[in-house]
Amino acid sequence: MSAAAVVSRFSLLDAAIAAASLAVTLWIGVRVKRYIGTIEDYLVASRGMGLYVGAASLLSTEVGIITYMYQAQFGFVAGFSAFVVGLITLAVCLVVGRTGFVITRLREMKILTVPEYFEKRYGRGVRVLAGVLMAFGGSLNLGIFPIIEARFLAIVTGIPARYLGWTMAGLLLVALAYTAIGGMVSLIVTNYVQYVFLAAGTVIVTLVCLREVGWGDMVRTVDGHMGGHGFNPVRDLGVGFIVWQVLLWIALMTVWQSVAMRTFSTKDPAVGKKMFTLTGFLFLGRALIPMLWGIAALAFFWARAEPVGTAATPSAQVEQLAAGLDKTYRGDIDSGRLGRALPQVDLLERLAGQEKSRSPEAARLEALSRDRRGEIGLLAMPWMLAATLPTGLLGLVVAGMLAASISTYAGYFLGWASIIAQDVVAPVLRRDLSNHSRLLLTRVTVVALTVFIMIWSLVYDLPGPAYFYLQVTANLFMAPTLIAVVGGLYWRRSSATGAALCFVLGALASLGYLVPQLRLDVATAGNLSWALAVAGFVLGSLLVPPAEQRREAAA
Amino acid sequence: MSWAFLWLAAFIVAFAAFILISLAIAVRGVGEIRELFAALEDERRRKAS
Repeated sequence: MSAAAVVSRFSLLDAAIAAASLAVTLWIGVRVKRYIGTIEDYLVASRGMGLYVGAASLLSTEVGIITYMYQAQFGFVAGFSAFVVGLITLAVCLVVGRTGFVITRLREMKILTVPEYFEKRYGRGVRVLAGVLMAFGGSLNLGIFPIIEARFLAIVTGIPARYLGWTMAGLLLVALAYTAIGGMVSLIVTNYVQYVFLAAGTVIVTLVCLREVGWGDMVRTVDGHMGGHGFNPVRDLGVGFIVWQVLLWIALMTVWQSVAMRTFSTKDPAVGKKMFTLTGFLFLGRALIPMLWGIAALAFFWARAEPVGTAATPSAQVEQLAAGLDKTYRGDIDSGRLGRALPQVDLLERLAGQEKSRSPEAARLEALSRDRRGEIGLLAMPWMLAATLPTGLLGLVVAGMLAASISTYAGYFLGWASIIAQDVVAPVLRRDLSNHSRLLLTRVTVVALTVFIMIWSLVYDLPGPAYFYLQVTANLFMAPTLIAVVGGLYWRRSSATGAALCFVLGALASLGYLVPQLRLDVATAGNLSWALAVAGFVLGSLLVPPAEQRREAAA
Repeated sequence: MSWAFLWLAAFIVAFAAFILISLAIAVRGVGEIRELFAALEDERRRKAS
């Protein structure tokens, strides 16, 4: 079968379904404005969130188009081995839900943000330092969402590239409008509606994948193209990666601002614990379901692979493939001809890998092919959906994906804006702000953050798979945050110096991945960040103990 | 037990749980949102009076 260009069947009916879902969300989100009186109403909905709405809100915030794209990409490049991340997430949620580890203590303190705890425990300086790092890492994390999601929408809906910027700006404005106006109350209510769309879209896509490809073909494709690496996570991803994922997910589930805000918004600590147990299974689906879509896309396009021409010698074939891909790769990617691009990239990567000891050019081509495989992995799932979903269903799926995305933007806008306003700007001003001023400051920050991510999204080039970028930008502050929170809650000797060193060293290690010249691989950067953060925290606390202990020792 | 079987079992659990919990959220969520609005309304009246 030849690899023909894919044309989406997105029609006026689909556009109407998607537009109606957006209109309903915006209408509901703006209507709740009358309930917002204080900053507590705005940031944590007066701590009145119930179990089921809480679970819906948590998942809606943590699932956007980008989540489905990077998880599908991970499934595409790692096969079933990627599923291990879902099991880790489930285990972490269940343990946190059962034990209340960190979340119960933080919820009992009635704080609004995680850095607020740092001021109570270590002083204002640590709060501001943590706030700056969280705002920086969180904004970088959010900054690549629009450009990646725009590619999904362009492929699935067939919107011409020239309108993409405007489409994404429109989506951001919808999220901005109701987040800035209604805060957490808007989020909780819209998240519920969005969750219904999101869940329907997720189930439809999964059933389409299983119908188009089938489990057996997925297993055979992964076996044929990845062998044991596609099934055994220890062989494919390594123990270092798995250990880092366990640590990172503990941090994400306890102190990641958008997750922590849901904990702070629950009626009481017991509801918070139950919410995590329930959400654990949803998070398992958040990982495994889109990863399966990625594996289905892998099988779908390998089944449509075009034969690759041969040459007299491997080095001649490397040259031939490289020249051919230079001419056709971009066009193939932009028109959905992945059945032509994928086998060429795959073969070039393997042959260049064999030749690289003899030629630096082959090493460059191997790295280039790996990046291209990553890009194909990112776009394969949307191209498969464009090729297979019929009119009507396409509209429902796009409505679900838009709901997922807007809820994520809204949740993250509120999460990071609350940190910038409450933990950076307000403490630096060094005076008590009125309720009205704090609300205004947070709303202005939401607007500024929206402008920033639109710009960042256009100027930054990803150094590798989106999954790794997102995890490392999160790791920039997650490792130090969790260590400083746990140390503060459970170790009497922990001090402000230890906490400050913990943040500085933990952040530096993560930058090793984000700055390409430093060439740290993702697992090394992630684990190094944890190791340095622990070392900084313990050494700093032992060398400069808390002030009261110093006074006791002096007395 | 082979890896492929483990991943099949994990996927079945994930997909079934996703459907069941989503249904529970859809049904029970409406009541919880009404409760939240009632609580916020009470709070607003209390502060106003």
